[in-house]
Amino acid sequence: MADAVLTLRPPLIDGDKSIAQVTHDVCAPMEARPSGLWWLALAASSSLLLLGALAIGYQIAVGVGTWGLNRTIGWAFDITNFVFWIGIGHAGTLISAVLFLFRQRWRTSVNRAAEAMTIFAVMCAGIFPIIHTGRPWFAYWLFPYPNTRGSLWVNFRSPLVWDCFAISTYFTVSAMFWFIGLLPDLATIRDRATAKWRRRLAGILSLGWNGSYRGWQRYEVVYLLLAGLGTPLVISVHTIVSWDFATSVLPGWHATLFPPYFVAGAIFSGMSMVLTLMIIARKLMRLEDYITLRHIDRMAKLVILTSCIVGLSYATEFFIALYSGSSYEQFVFLNRAMGPMFWAYWTMVSCNLLIPQLLWFRRIRAYVPAVFVISIFVNIGMWFERFVIIVTSLSRDFLPSNWFHYAPTRIEIATLMGSFGLFFTLFLLFCRFVPVIAVAEVKGVLKYGISHEEGDS
Amino acid sequence: MKETANHSRVRKYLGSAFLTLVLLTALAFSLLVLVPKFSAYALPGNQRGYEPAQPIAFSHRLHAGELQVQCLYCHSGAERSRHAGIPATNVCMNCHRFVSASLGAIRAEDAAAKKEGREPRRIVSPEIQKIYDALAITDQMKPEPTKESRPIQWVKVHNLPDFVYFDHRPHVNAGVACQKCHGQVETMERVRQVEDLSMGWCVNCHRAVDRTGLDGKGNFTAASAPAAHGNTPVTHRVYASIDCSTCHY
Amino acid sequence: MSSGNKHYWKALEEKEGGPEFLMDAAQDLVERGPRQFGRRDFLKAAGFTVGVAFATGCSRAPLQKAIPLLSQPEEIVPGRSLFYASTCSGCNAGCGVLAKVRDGRPIKLEGNPEHPFSQGGLCATGQASILGLYDSHRLQHPLKQGNKTDWEVADREILTHLASIRSQHGAVRFLTGTITSPSVLAAMQEFLKSFSDSRHVAYDPLSNSAILDAYQQTHGTRLLPHFHFEKAEVIASFDADFLGTWISPVEFTTAYRAGRNLEEKRVSYHVQFEPRMSLTGSKADRRFAVAPCDFGVLLTHLTRLVAKRAGISLDWAEPDASSVPRNCLDELADRLWRARGRSLVVCGSQAIQEQVLANYLNHLLGNYGAAIELDNPSLQAQGNDQDLESLIAELQTGKVDTLFVYGVNPAFDLPGDRWREALSKVPLLVSFSQRMDETASLAGYVVPEPHFLQSWNDTEAVSGIASISQPTVHPFAETRSLLETLSVWNGKSNSGYELLRDFWRARVFPRQKKEPNFDAFWDRSVHDGYAEVAPAVVKTKPFDLRAVQPILRSSANANSLALVLYPTLSMLDGRNAYNPWLHELPDPISKVTWDNYASLSPATAKKLGVNNGDIIRIDASAKNLKQLELPAYIQPGQHDDVVAVALGYGSRLSSRFAKVGPQWIDALLSVGENGLVGQNAASYLELKDGALRYASTQVALSRTEKQRELACTQIHNTLNVPEKLRPAGSGPRSIVQETTLAAFLKDPHSGVEDDEEKEDLWPTDHPYAGPRWGMVIDLNACTGCSSCVIACQVENNIPVVGRDEVRRNREMHWMRIDRYYSESDDGQVDVAHQPLMCQQCENAPCETVCPVLATVHSEDGLNQQVYNRCVGTRYCANNCPYKGRRFNWFNYSHDDHLQNLVLNPDVTVRSRGVMEKCTFCVQRIQEAKIEAKRRGENVVDGAVQTACQQSCPAHAIYFGDLNDPNSRVSKMMQNPRRYRVLEELNVRPAVGYLTVVRNRDQESKEEQHG
Repeated sequence: MADAVLTLRPPLIDGDKSIAQVTHDVCAPMEARPSGLWWLALAASSSLLLLGALAIGYQIAVGVGTWGLNRTIGWAFDITNFVFWIGIGHAGTLISAVLFLFRQRWRTSVNRAAEAMTIFAVMCAGIFPIIHTGRPWFAYWLFPYPNTRGSLWVNFRSPLVWDCFAISTYFTVSAMFWFIGLLPDLATIRDRATAKWRRRLAGILSLGWNGSYRGWQRYEVVYLLLAGLGTPLVISVHTIVSWDFATSVLPGWHATLFPPYFVAGAIFSGMSMVLTLMIIARKLMRLEDYITLRHIDRMAKLVILTSCIVGLSYATEFFIALYSGSSYEQFVFLNRAMGPMFWAYWTMVSCNLLIPQLLWFRRIRAYVPAVFVISIFVNIGMWFERFVIIVTSLSRDFLPSNWFHYAPTRIEIATLMGSFGLFFTLFLLFCRFVPVIAVAEVKGVLKYGISHEEGDS
Repeated sequence: MKETANHSRVRKYLGSAFLTLVLLTALAFSLLVLVPKFSAYALPGNQRGYEPAQPIAFSHRLHAGELQVQCLYCHSGAERSRHAGIPATNVCMNCHRFVSASLGAIRAEDAAAKKEGREPRRIVSPEIQKIYDALAITDQMKPEPTKESRPIQWVKVHNLPDFVYFDHRPHVNAGVACQKCHGQVETMERVRQVEDLSMGWCVNCHRAVDRTGLDGKGNFTAASAPAAHGNTPVTHRVYASIDCSTCHY
Repeated sequence: MSSGNKHYWKALEEKEGGPEFLMDAAQDLVERGPRQFGRRDFLKAAGFTVGVAFATGCSRAPLQKAIPLLSQPEEIVPGRSLFYASTCSGCNAGCGVLAKVRDGRPIKLEGNPEHPFSQGGLCATGQASILGLYDSHRLQHPLKQGNKTDWEVADREILTHLASIRSQHGAVRFLTGTITSPSVLAAMQEFLKSFSDSRHVAYDPLSNSAILDAYQQTHGTRLLPHFHFEKAEVIASFDADFLGTWISPVEFTTAYRAGRNLEEKRVSYHVQFEPRMSLTGSKADRRFAVAPCDFGVLLTHLTRLVAKRAGISLDWAEPDASSVPRNCLDELADRLWRARGRSLVVCGSQAIQEQVLANYLNHLLGNYGAAIELDNPSLQAQGNDQDLESLIAELQTGKVDTLFVYGVNPAFDLPGDRWREALSKVPLLVSFSQRMDETASLAGYVVPEPHFLQSWNDTEAVSGIASISQPTVHPFAETRSLLETLSVWNGKSNSGYELLRDFWRARVFPRQKKEPNFDAFWDRSVHDGYAEVAPAVVKTKPFDLRAVQPILRSSANANSLALVLYPTLSMLDGRNAYNPWLHELPDPISKVTWDNYASLSPATAKKLGVNNGDIIRIDASAKNLKQLELPAYIQPGQHDDVVAVALGYGSRLSSRFAKVGPQWIDALLSVGENGLVGQNAASYLELKDGALRYASTQVALSRTEKQRELACTQIHNTLNVPEKLRPAGSGPRSIVQETTLAAFLKDPHSGVEDDEEKEDLWPTDHPYAGPRWGMVIDLNACTGCSSCVIACQVENNIPVVGRDEVRRNREMHWMRIDRYYSESDDGQVDVAHQPLMCQQCENAPCETVCPVLATVHSEDGLNQQVYNRCVGTRYCANNCPYKGRRFNWFNYSHDDHLQNLVLNPDVTVRSRGVMEKCTFCVQRIQEAKIEAKRRGENVVDGAVQTACQQSCPAHAIYFGDLNDPNSRVSKMMQNPRRYRVLEELNVRPAVGYLTVVRNRDQESKEEQHG
């Protein structure tokens, strides 16, 4: 008997919860009055958001010149932030869609938050392509639409146009996926709600979910289909984003390696962002039983994997530069490592490659604060990765007479902070009004690893 | 029992068919009503139909239509310059030095004078008087030192945004009729913009001309290119480029 | 759309602006006065145009008025440009120009191709001088004690004063710069004759007085010879910056280039000795950095060597060792001697003895009558510093009762304090200045002159070439030309036209035989802009050997540096301080804008421990002059014992530029702490033994803790990547390709790397049925004089962005000139200039990436940029290997309505947030095409000239149809020297470059740049 128990895999959810408990545990924080800590966090993030809004307002009113760009360096913070946020998004889709298809049951307690993160991240990302244009009020010209210019379409050869399609698709699908997944839980909220407005609102949003057998069946099918739809997006979106650089002639950008490199980087950064958020959430909302050390452990393993892929890409870039025999290419990479912006490069390497290696040790994976700190490092490192790729390459291209340096202005920094403000504001509101854990799904894996009947994985 | 079943089925069938029919007619009607409305809808910046009042009630119908004055007689710039140009006031004077009023009015005055047995006075129509005022001259064509001459401030009818560089020369010299863009001006009392002058409108005409040629001249093709490059001038063929820099620079 | 459009509508005023607009603009400045032109004149002058009036509450687009002429002159066709021949007054060189007049306003100056010595070229100053016409800070009416007055009053009061002086036999002095106008000189003589004690004192702030004095000694006549660089096969220049600022740069550049024609295999050999790196030095085949104190000894050595070869023994004592290696001097002496009669020695020194030695060298080499002409001398510099010396003495004693100042600014361009107090002693000081400069602000009366495009005048810059300046637009204000003013004061007030015509009838017409009839002669002269007449007879004595004295001792001073004051080709003596275009024009060598600075050699900088932008203190306490604190600039190729500072900066005319350029939270002012652009170094000039000295002051340097980042357009100076980042086995980037003459003569293809056409995997996208426009730039001819940069700025409405924006590397010039240093085989510094603009690539990287098709390829090979379609993603600029694209970071201000009248109506004024770049002057291409069509012809070769090509004094730029095998440009494309920049990328630029060929014997080893 004892042996039998020992052979079982560890359960996914600790504390031997009853179904009712699950519902309660997850919904309680929403129904209780928000803690002071929450208010504090919201105040902080929303003031950041306001700062960002002011910065963007000023920039649009006065001109892109309020950024530190120049005739040599046409992109810097703007596109760096864009790629950074798009990257963050990927983990969400990966967890919710890919892991779903791979029947990774442990995902159930993190997928909801991860998907939310995806959507918010894509929102943040979406701002930058628009505001980085010289005439944002004409940004809609990037979409093909019938016009009186006889007719004048967009340039389908331009990666920026592909971006438009990729990102809008990505956002739509992720949002839909998230919302469908929310339906049963919204219904739960509706049924538990005491406040009238909450009942009415949840009622409308839950589209009259009644938990009927047929409802569940349809739900499962749609969810599976959307998962199937979402999975290729994980690959496609960042591949296309990477083409913004890969299709150019600029040494340091013009690299066939970019698509896989960027996708890996995206999942890497996304995973660490999920870790960051989950670790905060489980602490604040006392969800340790649901988001267990085992979840953190698994995600940490994914982080190591992607970190190594990214590291390999860094090495490959240098090798290809050497192998290409193009002195421009070789110089650009030497310049990255040893040129005037070496600090950015080494920040990137240490944050993305060296520090994550600590996660090889089980003891560190099990020690939550360490994992948290590492995940923060990775976020910083991944931001710098994009910064290094964009800025150092631009600052030292073909003609020495063009070489110049770049320094961000106050406006740019404020805009970056503003994007974080937006992200966290949205996330805090999400924690407040939506179950951060997919109640229905968790119930499905509740007995997992406890009774003998269920042992699949 | 059975009948009723059939009956109901039939009724259901009929009902749905009827419904479909109703819906279809409704759709047809709405299309009939909406589509023309929609096509008539002008986008912002489209000034088709613009017909501003002018300082002088100059009638193109009278001058270009009835009197058959050639367009280029007054708008002589069209051949030589980007701007067709508004005629200088002394161009008006070529005729209006002598013509100061409508024939009817002058006849009437002559009749009246004969009746009263006096010299007929010179009749000057109020509109033509404005020309004389502009030049500060009397109806006897003598300068009026007291008045200061000031040019007539016509209101421009056909306006393009100024990132568009339209040039009359190639069009006029290629044989594009003025009416093609300006409409039947010779029938207008007051000039009205008849085309929307949108980019699409320009480009489509250029495309057409490139296919068909214009005014008896062939179109410029890659086949005709070598010749065009040697001695025979490009200009023996019509070539309406749709390069951006044809109009935008 | 709205915001975009608002700008465009506003721009329409600028674009089509004519009478209506000219009126408003002018009315901002003057209220109607007796001399003020009426609306009617305006319309006459201006022709048809469109003014814009925003109709309030107008539902549609703004109401536009179309206002025709009352009576239209025959030649004026609205919307067509007319060209009027005239003469440039940017400096005293008197180059011929054609003023392009569109709808009544001059909008561009172009060199007059027929003009005998400028031959179609024009310098940056000349190109920019059109902006002076629309300068809203120009004086609009006479001033009395700084207050507005009118001409009646001014004339009456000045005349009464003069009458009293006549009666008391008071002293009248007329202080001017060089006056090349015979009619003005005559009028002035007549005016001065009426006083018992009167004198005309002429000086040049950039003085060449020593040359004239030297000729006084050696040839018995005080004259400035006419140099013919095209006839010289060996040129030895001793600190004469003849391609940059010396006497007549455009003429000399054209001639110099003619003498270095690789196609005809005749290439002059040019040696330059100079203390600082000048434009001329940057072109020299051999260049030696020499401290100013060593020139005398150097010349003595060379004279001895040449004399030896001439078999003349000079009984001179042994001079100090020369700073230039003996073998180099020997080689030069050999070359000079071999090329005797076909060589030329020029000297820019202000030491008369050194000039005499230079004359002696030319005499020994028999260059007189060949490369140096004495019988039709140049009149471009007539200044006499001895007179100046005596004048200041008179002024200080208070002897002078009336001083007229014309064309110079003694309170600024001479050692200031001394002159300011001297000038304030004069009872009546009258200035003719166009602007409120330092002297005008001291003057009792300022009787302003109009711009040279607004009045009749004549010029005889070189004896025998009389040229005419004709007005191309009415004066906007109550200004009066010197000629008219003098005639009024001489008691007969005629119009400038009558005065000039009468003068020419009486004095110029008789000097020629071609035209029997004066009217015909006059008409032709006005039409051509010049007339060739018999030069005034000058009698020169045979060379007087007694004048020649050796200079045996160098006045070197061990523990101090020599301060070298030099003119920049943009500011000159400071006369251009009002001109924002020239302030923003990067210095051709240092690439610094909006400042003057103390340039040091790298070694000296190291010794002082200063870097670019560290402020250093220049201290000449020995001469109790006040200290000068300037940012340091490290200048390769400069002599270690020299600190060089540019003159002409720190003028009060530049105070207006405080807020030029976009104003936003991080914007910095364009002026320094003194509220001016740069600082005036004129106080360090020395007026000593009859000559203004520019390099005689010894100074001590000390570094301060302060910093001032210089607005420099190029921060990396060599074609090499930094040592530690250099990939193994990679040399200098082959962006500028060069070779030596020896190698070139063996194989004209030498120095050119990898120029074979790349194979494409697929057929080309662009068939080019018609013409394909292309350009070739001869780097060997290009001197880097930057006139193309300004020409492009005028032609294409390129905005001025101000110091701060340039500092941020956001200057808008479509055409830039890259300057690279490299180390020559003899360890000296070589310089290469490379004009670079959009290369109009056939496989253009920018075209594929633009999301909205705002930049696409045209059927005739242009890489079109459509401003109104551009949304400003800047992707194209990132992807441009040449970085030839410019982005409108802000809405650059067009608030100065008068200044807006200089805008070219054929080019859109770009709004904020759009990309722009060189278009190969597509507006000119379109015009030529349309005109050709109209006449039923093809566009003939040469019918389209880009602005840069037209203006280039060295004729280094070829432009035309590459599909026409007979066009000059396609012939040049076949030139074995031709290469393309970054050919290996296979973007297929339409711009080709011709290699630099340095006239050296050694086979160039893999020339190691950097």
